[in-house]
Amino acid sequence: MERIILDVDSAGDDILAVLFAAVSPSIKLEGVTTCTGAAGPIEQVTNVVLNTLALAGRTDIPVAKGAWRPIVGNSKADMEAPVHFEKRLVARFGDRLKMFNPPAPTPTTKPIDRHAVDFILDTVLASPGEITLVATGPMTNLAMAFLQDERLAKAVKRLVLLGGNFVTPGNMTPLSEYNIWADAEAARVVLNQDVDKILVPLDVCEDNRAAASMLTRDDLADLQGAGDHPVLKMLQASFPIYIDIWREFFDLVGFPMDDIITVALAFDPTLCTMTEPVFVDVVLDGRLARGQTVAWRGRQLLPGGGAKTTRICTDIDGRRFMKLFKETIVRYQSSAA
Amino acid sequence: MSSIEAVSPRPTPILLDCDPGHDDAIAIVMAHRSKAIDLLGITVTCGNAELDKAVSNTLRILEFIGAEDVPVAAGCYRPLARPLVLGTADGPSGLEGSPYLPPATKKVEPLHAVDFIAKTLREQDEPLRIVATGPLCNLGLFVLKYPDLLPKIKDITWMGGVFWRKSEFITPTEFNAFCDPEALRIVLDSGVPLTMVGLDVTMQVLVEAPQFVEFEKIDTELGHVVLDWLRFYEKLHRGQMGVGGALHDPLALALIIDPTLVRTRPAHIGVDLGGTYTFGATVADFWNERQLPANAQIAKEVDADRFFELLYSLLRD
Repeated sequence: MERIILDVDSAGDDILAVLFAAVSPSIKLEGVTTCTGAAGPIEQVTNVVLNTLALAGRTDIPVAKGAWRPIVGNSKADMEAPVHFEKRLVARFGDRLKMFNPPAPTPTTKPIDRHAVDFILDTVLASPGEITLVATGPMTNLAMAFLQDERLAKAVKRLVLLGGNFVTPGNMTPLSEYNIWADAEAARVVLNQDVDKILVPLDVCEDNRAAASMLTRDDLADLQGAGDHPVLKMLQASFPIYIDIWREFFDLVGFPMDDIITVALAFDPTLCTMTEPVFVDVVLDGRLARGQTVAWRGRQLLPGGGAKTTRICTDIDGRRFMKLFKETIVRYQSSAA
Repeated sequence: MSSIEAVSPRPTPILLDCDPGHDDAIAIVMAHRSKAIDLLGITVTCGNAELDKAVSNTLRILEFIGAEDVPVAAGCYRPLARPLVLGTADGPSGLEGSPYLPPATKKVEPLHAVDFIAKTLREQDEPLRIVATGPLCNLGLFVLKYPDLLPKIKDITWMGGVFWRKSEFITPTEFNAFCDPEALRIVLDSGVPLTMVGLDVTMQVLVEAPQFVEFEKIDTELGHVVLDWLRFYEKLHRGQMGVGGALHDPLALALIIDPTLVRTRPAHIGVDLGGTYTFGATVADFWNERQLPANAQIAKEVDADRFFELLYSLLRD
């Protein structure tokens, strides 16, 4: 069993990642930490996680609220830009959109009375070499933890990070991916650490080369007979709209499972083909390139680079991943029965 | 009560965030000796020296002046988004010139600076004043971690930035801003009232021959140590900038005791994060071209003579 802390920003696939991690027999989920990101303000993000764990029947798993803002972030104009995207969605999907990142109802449980950064530091430092940190949103909490306590780099087992793009075009600018773009300074602090890391870029998730790993209506149909556990019912109710949005607006064959892939890699790194360990940096200047991930490969004349400790995923065994996802998620039914 | 200090009903409780540093050291001495100030604690950041050296300097200074009871919390070992570039004004140890100060037996608090600030703010009934005399790494990380406690900070008086450029010393950037401009951006955006005591103003508070005459008259153990600090500090200033030692940090601290030592003007301040020579530049919008509300009071003119009178009196009494 892999002991992990999961750091999320609670967009749709983070919900599946939390559900997946909470029921996987290969994972001991030490806690979930939350970060402001794709799903909005930190309260919404935290409430979504609390509600998700309640749905999973795992209110025993601690939730720690984290960063309310990025270290620097981006211009007001850029931050408000996704509004136009949402207007387009409303025009196409109308009322069905209510199932897409709805405002979280007030949870019946509370986050723990400790900041995410302290939860991460205390947990990792108490078990040196044992805890894997998995981040599926902007890396603000992880960066703050590394900035607050230098010992974290030596004590953490591994980081599995969702972010960046090397082959597939970016989803914020043609060069940059959301998680990195949303807090580029934090991503740079984390990716520059001399710590064993697996980086999961868009290339193996949000690209039709990874089509077999995406959630489709066929997959939902496969799961239909699996039972009526609240988690499985939620999946059937909420995810058709996600599948349709990603098909219509991103030209993908299904809903990409970025966050769940990232969690699964924490205990099964063989799901992806990876590069040799390389140094990965983040572009901070400029507008179009801000947030671009740069892998130090090949040979260069100018000096530069740093610790070669990040393996970048380049391909995924999508069929095996989707099989793993479905087998894991139906455990909600089988273990409840 | 010093004859120079204004009569105040009760001392002002403050937290001091610093990176000693000779001028930080003098600010600590002033904060401890002033009856107008109740020094609740010191948080330390990297800057003039690496964190461990700055912490060690802080502890040695406090023990030497008999202020062992002031808690010290170690903070950031690096700026939030950049590699650490050390200041050059204070020598390799951050406090050259007083090698005879014994190593401290006093220990740091078992809390990181940001957590110590949070604890102290929670213990206070009234919002607290903070004086910061180093790069803003600690306060930047504090804002990121404890947004709910921001209303518990009454204001921040910070030595940093450069604005008016009317002195012969012209640079677009000041070290504390240059060292961690991202942290400064966070503090500027936090909504906490900020008074900025920029380099152009502190470069008018110079220890030259007339001031040395006065410092030499202070024939106490503390007076001798301060004189040794100033002599070393002057050498570096003289060599690099051609003027005597500027008391940057003590001026910021002195504004708690006597805010009338400077005139200020409000403006919106932006800090440049890019640029080849200008990252860390603090750009004040005095003409309100950005149409943004003022986020700081900027020190404009200083009465250096009155500042020195205050400093002499605090060292003498």
